[in-house]
Amino acid sequence: MKEMLVETIKNLFSKPATVKYPQEPSPPPANYRGLIVYRAPLCIFCTKCEMVCPPGAIRFTYGEDGSKKFHYNPYLCIYCGECVRACPKPGCLTQVEETAPPETEVPDWDALEKAAEESKKAFLKARAAAKAKKK
Amino acid sequence: MGKRITVPFGSQHVALPEPVRFVFQTENEKIVDVEVDVGYVHRGIEKACATKFKYMQVGYVVARVCGLCAISHTLGYVTALERLMGVEVPKRALYLRLLVSELDRIHSHLLAMGHTAEVAGYENLFMQTFRHRELVMEMLELLTGNRVQFDFACPGGVNRDLTPEVEKVLREKLKLLEEKALWLKDVYENDFSLALRWKGIGVVTEKMAKEMNVVGPPARAAGLKTDARAEFNYLPFKEVGYKMVVLKGGSIYERNLLRALEVLNSIQMCWNVLDGLPEGEIKVPVKGLPEGEMFVRIEAPRGELFYYIRGSQKLVLDRVRIRVPTFSNIPVMKELFVGMDYADVPATVISFDPCLSCTAR
Repeated sequence: MKEMLVETIKNLFSKPATVKYPQEPSPPPANYRGLIVYRAPLCIFCTKCEMVCPPGAIRFTYGEDGSKKFHYNPYLCIYCGECVRACPKPGCLTQVEETAPPETEVPDWDALEKAAEESKKAFLKARAAAKAKKK
Repeated sequence: MGKRITVPFGSQHVALPEPVRFVFQTENEKIVDVEVDVGYVHRGIEKACATKFKYMQVGYVVARVCGLCAISHTLGYVTALERLMGVEVPKRALYLRLLVSELDRIHSHLLAMGHTAEVAGYENLFMQTFRHRELVMEMLELLTGNRVQFDFACPGGVNRDLTPEVEKVLREKLKLLEEKALWLKDVYENDFSLALRWKGIGVVTEKMAKEMNVVGPPARAAGLKTDARAEFNYLPFKEVGYKMVVLKGGSIYERNLLRALEVLNSIQMCWNVLDGLPEGEIKVPVKGLPEGEMFVRIEAPRGELFYYIRGSQKLVLDRVRIRVPTFSNIPVMKELFVGMDYADVPATVISFDPCLSCTAR
């Protein structure tokens, strides 16, 4: 009891352990697992990141000619970094230390998931048909 | 019957960090009957693991079972998977896992100690404990990149390596933490008012602990020698100076003192890991599909955590079964409450450190 009393009185005059957050900025955490950054020019569209992503926050939509487009939902992402480790092309997918999600509008994700699935199916069907034709 | 009064405790209560519901039937101040409900936060994680997620992703899903023992759940799953698939994990990865697992234990124990002090009305000690807990949180954040969901262990190794710069900061903080932990242990052991409030309250005897299958700190505080770290070889605990702490008595006071002593032992283990970290790889690739079944026992901060998985050459597992320590500790709580004063209930519940999001998952 005496020790706690001494400590309490000491703490009355010592510097606070906390930061007055909204007035002062919170110190940026080093080594933080932050946002996933995608660089389209480097991408080889192997869709490995889509396959490993646990919550399905990365989806590819397929065009009619087989071209693919990358979509990322930062609000669904769990920031585990699995996609970055799966990416075979260094620098294409990176995880930065920035904490806040970007102020970008996320498209209607449910519709996008549906579109991704349907476009993939259509693309695979078209490819199978083309192969059969060749034979 | 007419004299009985029903007193609900939970699911929302100022003393409880998580939703558990006890309904007490009391006569005057004494409790004569109690009912428990633990299923308030059921999320269907076991089912999701066996239907929706591939076996390589399940580690990240089970990490979300509980925030406080996140590494324990991942560790349980990846250890089971590695044993099932016969993966040899590099030594450095094992030591890094041990480091994070022990840091996790420290922060969980400090949280439990702080909450028990708060429930006993000792707000001051609660603040001090949580202030020092922040050191561990910062260390974990540096090491794994996040304060709560570490996502550190993965099948085949660990996701992040320990860099020399991080190691330097860890050593500085660990030194400070050791100082503070010693001071905290001293307070929890010798504080006069805490001893008045806690000694002899909510006593679990060794016989009770054995019969009711109590696990973790409450069992060891009652004198029962049970610890998965000593009994199940999943990480090299013996090489880094693990000592089982066993106390006699089994009241709230002993449970908290035991946590304080375990924190000191964990800090010692962290020192040993940092001093003798082997060089080499941190990850090996995992190939193939799981077939067969496997179970593992892991010592989570709250006690023994049990994982069972079964696969049949498919990407998705057939079954993932999780049995958590709190689930084993609920029956003895029920037994304890009958005949106890209602005023002692909050402190007793919190001293068991119940984790309901684990229990209901």
